[in-house]
Amino acid sequence: MSDSYVAPKPYCAEYFLSTENLDHLDATVAEVFKMMFGLEIQAVGVANSAVHLPELDVRTAIVGFSGAMRGSCQVRVSVQAAISIASAMLGGVPIDEGDDSVNDALGELCNMLAGGWKNGMPSLSSECALSPPTVISGHDYKVHMSKPSTKLSRTYQFEGHAMYLTLYREDMESFGE
Amino acid sequence: MKGTVLVVDDSAMMRKVVLRILKMADLDFEAALEAGDGNEALTLLRANTVALIMCDINMPVMSGLQLLQQIKEEKLAIGVPIVMVTTENSEPQVRQAILAGARGYIRKPFTIDHIKNNVKPLLAA
Repeated sequence: MSDSYVAPKPYCAEYFLSTENLDHLDATVAEVFKMMFGLEIQAVGVANSAVHLPELDVRTAIVGFSGAMRGSCQVRVSVQAAISIASAMLGGVPIDEGDDSVNDALGELCNMLAGGWKNGMPSLSSECALSPPTVISGHDYKVHMSKPSTKLSRTYQFEGHAMYLTLYREDMESFGE
Repeated sequence: MKGTVLVVDDSAMMRKVVLRILKMADLDFEAALEAGDGNEALTLLRANTVALIMCDINMPVMSGLQLLQQIKEEKLAIGVPIVMVTTENSEPQVRQAILAGARGYIRKPFTIDHIKNNVKPLLAA
């Protein structure tokens, strides 16, 4: 390492797409699923690969980041997976598809994943705030970012369900980019 | 367990989760009150005596930190342990919550052991 080497800021694009960040994301997901749902979850495939969820009914939870890093955390699952998450959160209680708790649980999951990921980085922990979660039904939507963004996607599998997680990070001049 | 617990969180699901895990941690209160934000919590506190408050921070209308300030100003729930339950756990926020009157801080996600270790001692004191 030369004397002129400057370590990247933990939330810069270089770190955002690094294996270290991916490992941190995987660990956060595993921790949340184990602690809140008592479920094992595994990453499947490589980062930023495509994922195929059932076309019919998909739910997406979105939590925004603001402050030192702007962007969002998005969690997309089938309705059946969202029902499994809500049921596991309540200790295995059966839940109907139309129950409000299905969207509520998915929003809380996204909140904990976004919070766990950013809290794991000291430079972001207190400098980056989370928005309340928003849940969208269906798959025919687009999320538009106000600036060019770097995207990190990862597919996970639990109890036979797929979960697609995407972190978006707006590219900002203040990050030295 | 005698008394009433007040759970404050904008997510109805999280309120149920907190109540379920309290029960699993042998903190099964006689009664439970639920509030979706700080304002609702204040209304309940003005009319009820509670033994424990479990409170989120990021909530619409009135945040958990604003609620702590208001509880202090109105001299409500004197001596009642208030435990913050939140995804936000940066040091400045924890410090701010403790200064505003919180007695405990639990990060989401949490386990039964976290509740046992962080809440039980406050009730025994």
